[in-house]
Amino acid sequence: MVATVATLCLFGLFIAAVLCLTRIIIGPRAADRAVAFDTLSTVIVGMICVLCVLWNSTLYFDAVWILTLVGFIGSAAIAKYLTRGRIF
Amino acid sequence: MTAVAHLVVEVAVVALMLGGTFFMLVTGIGLIRFPDVYTRMHAAGKAGTLGVALLILAPALYFLGSDPAVSVRGGLAIVFQFLTTPGATYLLAHACYATGHLAHERTELDELKDVLPDYPSSEFGPE
Repeated sequence: MVATVATLCLFGLFIAAVLCLTRIIIGPRAADRAVAFDTLSTVIVGMICVLCVLWNSTLYFDAVWILTLVGFIGSAAIAKYLTRGRIF
Repeated sequence: MTAVAHLVVEVAVVALMLGGTFFMLVTGIGLIRFPDVYTRMHAAGKAGTLGVALLILAPALYFLGSDPAVSVRGGLAIVFQFLTTPGATYLLAHACYATGHLAHERTELDELKDVLPDYPSSEFGPE
């Protein structure tokens, strides 16, 4: 039961990732792309969680919180760059 | 664990994964459908955070019996997610307002217009 639902959820998350990539491609300005990229990293975190359940392995679970923190740093850097034209 | 406990955990994990996937799909649809950058942030910042929290809870519950360290890391990851995603969304929204991203024309309330009358102040408007 768990494996079937995990495969189904992977497919749904794949569709969500494709929607985020569409917004990254068509997004009219840089901020739209930044928001979509942040969401894409969140979707990838969800994919890693579902894969942990599907493979019955905890090997990649550390990537979850590392990706969370790195995604925040990326979004904060993009926001500073959009406001001032430089990061620091 | 007994067989009944296994079944309860499996049902809970399945429900968590399905719920998280639903909210992530809603986030993606919102990113495509909403008309301006602020409403897209609303979709990404709220539904996305809830969806990924549910998705992290699924392996945290699934490995609770065999590897409790994963559950601890999962809880930490949820705390990080709830701390960082609204912060990043706030920073991006402030950057958008400062660089003159216009809200959709049907937006009725702009409270920052009275507080910060000289915005957009930055001449650096990235395309």
